Amino acid sequence: MVELDHAFPTGPDTWATITDLERVIPCVEGGRVVEATSPEEAKAEIVVKMGAMSMTFTGTVKLVERDDDAQRAVLKVRSKEKGGQGFANAEATFTLNGDGGTLHTAAQISGKAASMGEGVVQSVLDALIKDFTGKLATA
Amino acid sequence: MAIPAGTYVLGPDQASLTVHTRKGGAAAKAGHDLTIAVTDWQATLTVADDPARSALELSAQADSLKVLEGHGGMMALGAEETSSIEQSMREDVLKSTPIAYRSTSVASDGNGGLHVDGALELHGRQVPIGFDLTVTDGHLTGSATVNQTAFGMKPYSALFGTLKVLDDVRVEVDAPLPPPS
Repeated sequence: MVELDHAFPTGPDTWATITDLERVIPCVEGGRVVEATSPEEAKAEIVVKMGAMSMTFTGTVKLVERDDDAQRAVLKVRSKEKGGQGFANAEATFTLNGDGGTLHTAAQISGKAASMGEGVVQSVLDALIKDFTGKLATA
Repeated sequence: MAIPAGTYVLGPDQASLTVHTRKGGAAAKAGHDLTIAVTDWQATLTVADDPARSALELSAQADSLKVLEGHGGMMALGAEETSSIEQSMREDVLKSTPIAYRSTSVASDGNGGLHVDGALELHGRQVPIGFDLTVTDGHLTGSATVNQTAFGMKPYSALFGTLKVLDDVRVEVDAPLPPPS
Protein backbone atom coordinates (compact mmCIF):
# COMPACT_ATOMS: atom_id res chain seq x y z
CA MET A 1 0.00 0.00 0.00
CA VAL A 2 1.34 3.41 -1.02
CA GLU A 3 -0.17 6.46 0.71
CA LEU A 4 0.44 9.98 -0.54
CA ASP A 5 -0.85 13.44 0.37
CA HIS A 6 -0.99 16.40 -1.95
CA ALA A 7 -2.22 19.99 -1.67
CA PHE A 8 -3.39 21.73 -4.82
CA PRO A 9 -4.86 25.02 -6.01
CA THR A 10 -8.56 25.16 -6.85
CA GLY A 11 -10.73 27.19 -9.19
CA PRO A 12 -14.41 28.06 -9.14
CA ASP A 13 -15.36 24.76 -10.84
CA THR A 14 -12.99 22.37 -9.08
CA TRP A 15 -15.67 20.83 -6.83
CA ALA A 16 -17.93 20.31 -9.84
CA THR A 17 -15.02 18.71 -11.72
CA ILE A 18 -14.08 16.31 -8.93
CA THR A 19 -17.68 15.11 -8.54
CA ASP A 20 -18.25 14.66 -12.29
CA LEU A 21 -16.56 11.42 -13.40
CA GLU A 22 -16.70 12.39 -17.06
CA ARG A 23 -14.67 15.52 -16.24
CA VAL A 24 -12.30 14.26 -13.57
CA ILE A 25 -11.14 11.01 -15.23
CA PRO A 26 -9.63 12.72 -18.32
CA CYS A 27 -7.62 14.95 -15.94
CA VAL A 28 -5.48 11.88 -15.24
CA GLU A 29 -2.81 11.72 -17.96
CA GLY A 30 -3.73 8.82 -20.25
CA GLY A 31 -7.14 8.39 -18.62
CA ARG A 32 -10.47 8.21 -20.45
CA VAL A 33 -14.03 7.26 -19.72
CA VAL A 34 -15.03 4.09 -21.56
CA GLU A 35 -18.66 4.20 -20.42
CA ALA A 36 -20.45 6.25 -17.78
CA THR A 37 -22.78 3.68 -16.21
CA SER A 38 -24.31 6.16 -13.73
CA PRO A 39 -23.48 9.61 -12.30
CA GLU A 40 -21.55 7.79 -9.56
CA GLU A 41 -19.83 5.08 -11.58
CA ALA A 42 -17.87 4.81 -14.82
CA LYS A 43 -15.89 2.22 -16.70
CA ALA A 44 -12.51 3.77 -17.42
CA GLU A 45 -9.11 3.10 -18.90
CA ILE A 46 -5.71 4.56 -18.26
CA VAL A 47 -2.72 4.13 -20.52
CA VAL A 48 0.58 4.66 -18.71
CA LYS A 49 3.40 5.29 -21.16
CA MET A 50 6.84 4.20 -19.97
CA GLY A 51 8.99 5.40 -22.83
CA ALA A 52 8.46 3.02 -25.71
CA MET A 53 6.47 0.66 -23.49
CA SER A 54 2.97 1.26 -22.25
CA MET A 55 0.66 -0.44 -19.78
CA THR A 56 -3.11 -0.19 -19.95
CA PHE A 57 -5.34 -0.56 -16.90
CA THR A 58 -9.10 -0.96 -17.30
CA GLY A 59 -11.70 -0.96 -14.54
CA THR A 60 -14.21 1.14 -12.67
CA VAL A 61 -14.16 4.49 -10.94
CA LYS A 62 -16.85 5.07 -8.30
CA LEU A 63 -17.81 8.19 -6.43
CA VAL A 64 -18.39 6.42 -3.11
CA GLU A 65 -18.73 9.45 -0.83
CA ARG A 66 -19.88 12.97 -1.58
CA ASP A 67 -20.50 15.74 0.95
CA ASP A 68 -21.31 18.96 -0.88
CA ASP A 69 -21.46 21.04 2.32
CA ALA A 70 -18.06 19.94 3.57
CA GLN A 71 -16.77 19.66 -0.01
CA ARG A 72 -15.36 16.22 0.66
CA ALA A 73 -15.47 13.40 -1.90
CA VAL A 74 -14.02 9.90 -2.13
CA LEU A 75 -13.30 8.15 -5.43
CA LYS A 76 -12.57 4.43 -5.50
CA VAL A 77 -10.65 2.96 -8.45
CA ARG A 78 -10.44 -0.76 -9.18
CA SER A 79 -8.57 -1.78 -12.30
CA LYS A 80 -6.74 -4.66 -13.93
CA GLU A 81 -3.78 -4.60 -16.25
CA LYS A 82 -4.88 -5.34 -19.79
CA GLY A 83 -3.22 -8.53 -21.00
CA GLY A 84 -1.46 -9.08 -17.69
CA GLN A 85 -1.92 -10.31 -14.15
CA GLY A 86 -1.46 -7.00 -12.37
CA PHE A 87 -3.97 -4.66 -10.83
CA ALA A 88 -4.06 -1.06 -9.63
CA ASN A 89 -6.59 -0.07 -6.99
CA ALA A 90 -6.82 3.26 -5.23
CA GLU A 91 -8.95 5.32 -2.91
CA ALA A 92 -8.66 9.05 -3.40
CA THR A 93 -10.08 11.42 -0.77
CA PHE A 94 -10.55 15.04 -1.86
CA THR A 95 -11.22 17.85 0.60
CA LEU A 96 -11.65 21.44 -0.55
CA ASN A 97 -11.51 24.55 1.57
CA GLY A 98 -11.38 28.25 0.83
CA ASP A 99 -7.64 28.21 0.18
CA GLY A 100 -7.37 25.17 -2.04
CA GLY A 101 -7.68 21.43 -1.77
CA THR A 102 -6.00 18.35 -0.39
CA LEU A 103 -5.91 14.85 -1.79
CA HIS A 104 -5.08 11.73 0.18
CA THR A 105 -4.35 8.73 -2.03
CA ALA A 106 -4.06 5.14 -0.85
CA ALA A 107 -3.01 2.85 -3.71
CA GLN A 108 -2.32 -0.85 -4.14
CA ILE A 109 -0.44 -1.89 -7.25
CA SER A 110 0.67 -5.36 -8.33
CA GLY A 111 2.21 -7.01 -11.38
CA LYS A 112 4.84 -5.57 -13.69
CA ALA A 113 4.40 -2.01 -12.42
CA ALA A 114 4.96 -3.12 -8.82
CA SER A 115 8.04 -5.11 -9.81
CA MET A 116 9.86 -1.79 -10.22
CA GLY A 117 9.82 -1.52 -6.43
CA GLU A 118 7.77 0.51 -3.96
CA GLY A 119 10.11 3.51 -4.12
CA VAL A 120 9.76 3.74 -7.90
CA VAL A 121 5.98 3.23 -7.76
CA GLN A 122 5.75 5.98 -5.17
CA SER A 123 7.82 8.39 -7.30
CA VAL A 124 5.77 7.73 -10.43
CA LEU A 125 2.46 7.94 -8.55
CA ASP A 126 3.56 11.17 -6.89
CA ALA A 127 4.41 12.68 -10.28
CA LEU A 128 1.13 11.44 -11.81
CA ILE A 129 -0.94 12.93 -8.96
CA LYS A 130 0.90 16.27 -9.11
CA ASP A 131 0.14 16.43 -12.83
CA PHE A 132 -3.49 15.47 -12.16
CA THR A 133 -4.12 17.95 -9.34
CA GLY A 134 -2.42 20.67 -11.37
CA LYS A 135 -5.21 20.34 -13.94
CA LEU A 136 -8.11 20.49 -11.47
CA ALA A 137 -8.09 24.27 -11.07
CA THR A 138 -8.76 24.88 -14.75
CA ALA A 139 -10.55 21.70 -15.91
CA MET B 1 49.97 2.16 -34.82
CA ALA B 2 49.97 5.44 -36.71
CA ILE B 3 47.27 6.18 -39.23
CA PRO B 4 48.97 6.07 -42.66
CA ALA B 5 48.72 9.28 -44.68
CA GLY B 6 45.99 9.32 -47.30
CA THR B 7 42.31 9.96 -47.78
CA TYR B 8 39.81 7.58 -46.21
CA VAL B 9 36.17 7.59 -47.23
CA LEU B 10 33.99 5.88 -44.65
CA GLY B 11 30.30 5.01 -44.61
CA PRO B 12 27.85 2.44 -43.31
CA ASP B 13 28.92 -0.22 -45.83
CA GLN B 14 32.27 -0.79 -44.18
CA ALA B 15 32.10 1.06 -40.85
CA SER B 16 29.74 1.60 -37.95
CA LEU B 17 28.62 4.89 -36.45
CA THR B 18 26.64 4.24 -33.28
CA VAL B 19 24.94 6.30 -30.59
CA HIS B 20 24.76 4.98 -27.03
CA THR B 21 22.13 6.37 -24.66
CA ARG B 22 21.70 5.71 -20.94
CA LYS B 23 18.52 5.83 -18.92
CA GLY B 24 18.00 7.78 -15.71
CA GLY B 25 15.39 9.01 -13.26
CA ALA B 26 13.47 7.39 -10.41
CA ALA B 27 11.80 4.92 -12.79
CA ALA B 28 14.97 4.09 -14.76
CA LYS B 29 14.29 0.38 -14.14
CA ALA B 30 11.43 0.61 -16.65
CA GLY B 31 13.64 1.92 -19.44
CA HIS B 32 16.44 0.66 -21.64
CA ASP B 33 20.00 1.69 -22.38
CA LEU B 34 20.04 1.89 -26.16
CA THR B 35 22.55 1.22 -28.90
CA ILE B 36 21.46 3.07 -32.02
CA ALA B 37 23.00 2.78 -35.48
CA VAL B 38 23.30 5.69 -37.88
CA THR B 39 22.55 3.95 -41.18
CA ASP B 40 23.08 6.81 -43.64
CA TRP B 41 26.32 8.75 -43.21
CA GLN B 42 29.57 9.53 -44.91
CA ALA B 43 32.91 10.70 -43.59
CA THR B 44 36.12 11.75 -45.29
CA LEU B 45 39.28 11.62 -43.24
CA THR B 46 42.33 13.17 -44.82
CA VAL B 47 45.53 12.24 -43.02
CA ALA B 48 48.58 14.28 -43.95
CA ASP B 49 52.19 13.56 -43.13
CA ASP B 50 51.96 16.69 -40.99
CA PRO B 51 49.02 15.83 -38.68
CA ALA B 52 48.11 19.53 -38.42
CA ARG B 53 47.13 19.46 -42.12
CA SER B 54 44.76 16.57 -41.61
CA ALA B 55 41.00 17.06 -41.73
CA LEU B 56 37.74 15.25 -41.05
CA GLU B 57 34.29 15.89 -42.46
CA LEU B 58 31.20 13.88 -41.69
CA SER B 59 27.56 14.16 -42.61
CA ALA B 60 24.65 12.00 -41.44
CA GLN B 61 20.92 11.77 -41.99
CA ALA B 62 18.92 12.31 -38.81
CA ASP B 63 16.13 10.12 -40.17
CA SER B 64 18.44 7.13 -40.52
CA LEU B 65 18.86 6.23 -36.85
CA LYS B 66 17.82 2.64 -36.08
CA VAL B 67 17.69 0.93 -32.70
CA LEU B 68 20.10 -2.02 -32.61
CA GLU B 69 19.79 -3.10 -28.98
CA GLY B 70 18.13 -2.20 -25.72
CA HIS B 71 19.55 -3.36 -22.40
CA GLY B 72 17.71 -3.40 -19.08
CA GLY B 73 14.05 -2.52 -18.79
CA MET B 74 11.09 -4.49 -17.47
CA MET B 75 10.32 -6.03 -20.83
CA ALA B 76 12.39 -6.80 -23.93
CA LEU B 77 12.07 -4.30 -26.75
CA GLY B 78 9.91 -5.60 -29.60
CA ALA B 79 9.44 -4.33 -33.14
CA GLU B 80 6.61 -2.02 -32.03
CA GLU B 81 8.73 -0.44 -29.28
CA THR B 82 11.82 0.05 -31.47
CA SER B 83 9.63 1.63 -34.13
CA SER B 84 8.16 3.97 -31.49
CA ILE B 85 11.65 4.97 -30.27
CA GLU B 86 12.82 5.64 -33.83
CA GLN B 87 9.74 7.79 -34.45
CA SER B 88 10.43 9.77 -31.26
CA MET B 89 14.07 10.32 -32.29
CA ARG B 90 12.98 11.56 -35.71
CA GLU B 91 10.03 13.71 -34.72
CA ASP B 92 10.63 14.82 -31.12
CA VAL B 93 14.38 14.84 -30.55
CA LEU B 94 16.34 15.33 -33.78
CA LYS B 95 13.43 16.78 -35.77
CA SER B 96 15.02 15.70 -39.06
CA THR B 97 17.67 18.44 -38.85
CA PRO B 98 21.02 18.13 -40.69
CA ILE B 99 23.91 16.46 -38.86
CA ALA B 100 27.43 17.46 -39.88
CA TYR B 101 30.88 17.56 -38.36
CA ARG B 102 33.79 19.53 -39.71
CA SER B 103 37.21 19.57 -38.07
CA THR B 104 38.88 22.90 -37.32
CA SER B 105 42.20 21.53 -36.09
CA VAL B 106 43.89 18.15 -35.97
CA ALA B 107 46.97 17.22 -33.98
CA SER B 108 48.94 14.10 -33.19
CA ASP B 109 47.87 12.49 -29.93
CA GLY B 110 51.46 11.37 -29.38
CA ASN B 111 50.58 7.69 -29.75
CA GLY B 112 50.10 7.41 -33.49
CA GLY B 113 46.51 8.60 -33.38
CA LEU B 114 44.94 11.97 -33.95
CA HIS B 115 43.18 14.43 -31.69
CA VAL B 116 40.45 16.16 -33.66
CA ASP B 117 38.73 19.38 -32.70
CA GLY B 118 35.83 20.74 -34.68
CA ALA B 119 32.22 21.78 -34.73
CA LEU B 120 29.21 19.48 -34.72
CA GLU B 121 26.04 20.80 -36.32
CA LEU B 122 23.00 19.19 -34.79
CA HIS B 123 19.43 20.35 -34.18
CA GLY B 124 20.24 23.62 -35.93
CA ARG B 125 23.18 24.53 -33.66
CA GLN B 126 26.95 24.23 -33.95
CA VAL B 127 28.88 23.24 -30.84
CA PRO B 128 32.65 22.57 -30.54
CA ILE B 129 33.46 18.90 -29.95
CA GLY B 130 36.86 17.21 -29.72
CA PHE B 131 37.78 13.53 -29.69
CA ASP B 132 40.61 11.08 -30.38
CA LEU B 133 40.93 8.80 -33.39
CA THR B 134 43.13 5.79 -32.87
CA VAL B 135 44.09 2.67 -34.78
CA THR B 136 44.13 -0.61 -32.89
CA ASP B 137 44.43 -4.00 -34.58
CA GLY B 138 43.71 -2.44 -37.95
CA HIS B 139 40.55 -0.70 -36.71
CA LEU B 140 40.05 3.02 -36.68
CA THR B 141 38.03 3.96 -33.61
CA GLY B 142 36.81 7.14 -32.01
CA SER B 143 34.36 8.17 -29.34
CA ALA B 144 32.79 11.54 -28.53
CA THR B 145 30.30 12.71 -25.94
CA VAL B 146 27.35 14.77 -27.13
CA ASN B 147 25.44 16.82 -24.58
CA GLN B 148 21.90 17.09 -25.89
CA THR B 149 20.91 20.31 -24.11
CA ALA B 150 24.02 22.08 -25.45
CA PHE B 151 22.36 21.70 -28.86
CA GLY B 152 18.99 22.95 -27.59
CA MET B 153 17.61 19.43 -27.65
CA LYS B 154 15.23 18.23 -24.97
CA PRO B 155 16.30 14.79 -23.76
CA TYR B 156 13.45 12.31 -24.04
CA SER B 157 11.46 11.78 -20.86
CA ALA B 158 8.34 9.84 -19.90
CA LEU B 159 6.32 8.94 -16.83
CA PHE B 160 6.16 12.60 -15.81
CA GLY B 161 9.93 12.97 -15.92
CA THR B 162 10.65 9.95 -13.71
CA LEU B 163 12.08 8.04 -16.70
CA LYS B 164 14.49 9.85 -18.99
CA VAL B 165 17.37 9.56 -21.37
CA LEU B 166 20.45 11.08 -19.73
CA ASP B 167 21.68 14.32 -21.26
CA ASP B 168 25.09 12.97 -22.36
CA VAL B 169 25.09 10.40 -25.16
CA ARG B 170 28.19 8.68 -26.54
CA VAL B 171 28.85 8.50 -30.26
CA GLU B 172 31.31 5.87 -31.51
CA VAL B 173 32.87 5.17 -34.87
CA ASP B 174 34.55 1.88 -35.69
CA ALA B 175 35.98 1.04 -39.09
CA PRO B 176 38.42 -1.52 -40.40
CA LEU B 177 41.07 0.83 -41.75
CA PRO B 178 40.63 0.72 -45.51
CA PRO B 179 43.54 1.27 -47.86
CA PRO B 180 44.02 5.03 -48.34
CA SER B 181 43.19 6.50 -51.71
